[in-house]
Amino acid sequence: MYAARRWWDRNGIRLGLIGLALGSAWLIRQTQGNLIYEVYRGIASPFVRQPVETTVPKDPKVQELEQRLIELQSQNRQLQELLGYVQKNPGNDTVAPVIGRSADHWWHQIILGRGQQDGIQVGSIVSGDGGIVGRVVQATPNTSRVLLISDPTSQIGVTVSRSRNMGYIRGQSANRVIMEFFDKVPDVRPGDVIATSSYSRLFPPGLPVGIVESVNLNKSPAPEAVIELSAPINRLEWVVVSSNPKADPSQSSSQSSQPDPAVEADLTDASLLGGNQ
Amino acid sequence: MNFDLLRWPPYARHSLNWAITVGSVLLCLLILPTRFSGMELLHVGPNWLLIWVVAWSVKRSMFEGAIAGLTLGLIQDGMTFPEPTHALSLVIIGALTARLQKQRYIQEDFISIALIVFGMVVLSETITALQFSLQVIISPDTAAYRDLGTIWLYHQRIALASAILSSLWAPVLYYPLNRWWEQIAAIEQPQ
Repeated sequence: MYAARRWWDRNGIRLGLIGLALGSAWLIRQTQGNLIYEVYRGIASPFVRQPVETTVPKDPKVQELEQRLIELQSQNRQLQELLGYVQKNPGNDTVAPVIGRSADHWWHQIILGRGQQDGIQVGSIVSGDGGIVGRVVQATPNTSRVLLISDPTSQIGVTVSRSRNMGYIRGQSANRVIMEFFDKVPDVRPGDVIATSSYSRLFPPGLPVGIVESVNLNKSPAPEAVIELSAPINRLEWVVVSSNPKADPSQSSSQSSQPDPAVEADLTDASLLGGNQ
Repeated sequence: MNFDLLRWPPYARHSLNWAITVGSVLLCLLILPTRFSGMELLHVGPNWLLIWVVAWSVKRSMFEGAIAGLTLGLIQDGMTFPEPTHALSLVIIGALTARLQKQRYIQEDFISIALIVFGMVVLSETITALQFSLQVIISPDTAAYRDLGTIWLYHQRIALASAILSSLWAPVLYYPLNRWWEQIAAIEQPQ
């Protein structure tokens, strides 16, 4: 009894400290590091640069194209209404500063300085200048974490805008992704625009992804193309977060604990489609 | 500083010691998501948590090293994705660094710490890559990475870039922390 008590006197505090350290580490793990990211945002937010307004006068060609785009969009909406095509109302867009990058090197993620309080939810779509960038995988009250499409684990169903050939992309390196086609002989050539397809379960259809850089039709088992992403993934400072009509609220809770739902969901799409063709 | 600390009551000294230790961990965690210029090579930054674990374990027992590795590994899991776990590599790093018993063989501090950190980063990234590979072998359908080639190509890049950066930045963290812990140990020793 005495020996036990002496042992406890000597090691009790140490044991308590170990327990405390492990306990708090476990807590941080279970809460996905929410607290740390909130503190990080508190420190980082004063240093965020304001977005620079471009004062360069627009090219007349660009203006013309923009006007034509607006015209086509409104036409498209009217046609969809005529067809009774039901689309959920897209929510508000939030502009969010990029305040950090992934906390280790195996995942391509960015940390945003806006969170649930600004209406960002798990599954929201994140886009930068020129195209989509990724998907929110975790949101705290004031920060959110985005899995980039350049991550090797995120796979998205896409389509070639010109010929409607389907395929899926997987991340390769910083600014390139690989597109695998479902067709054996796809109609694709360098310069074609790639957009998300309507078969993707995680992204709404028609969002611009990038431009075909090179095509390798002899690749086995499926033809491949290298896509250059239109958004500058490495130099993102501000992004736009928009709510995702395809994000299922019931899924969002389980998504946060899963390493990478993008693969499973989009691949089931992929295999289904592949089987049909 | 030394004399001031001597006059402090022991509990205050202990609390200060723990505050500094925990504070340094917090600092490492907050640096992790940043990519300052000079801390980045091929979009890879230094592995600050590994540097901390090495600094902690180098003059401590294997058990203490492993516990520190486990704690920081769990936290990093929370900050990224928990599968595969970072705790495994950091536990092994902590235990192995303590096992090296550097101070018995090498008195010199700076370059040997940089070398240890360099080797440990390579080892830790290899352990992570092995875990990714194991995922591919066991359950190819749910694995994060799809093929082994990608994993090991990526591993080469990360391991080399991160090892170079981490070993260069290691003294920045190691020197002040080690000096503080040495001072505390010197005060505690005679009693």
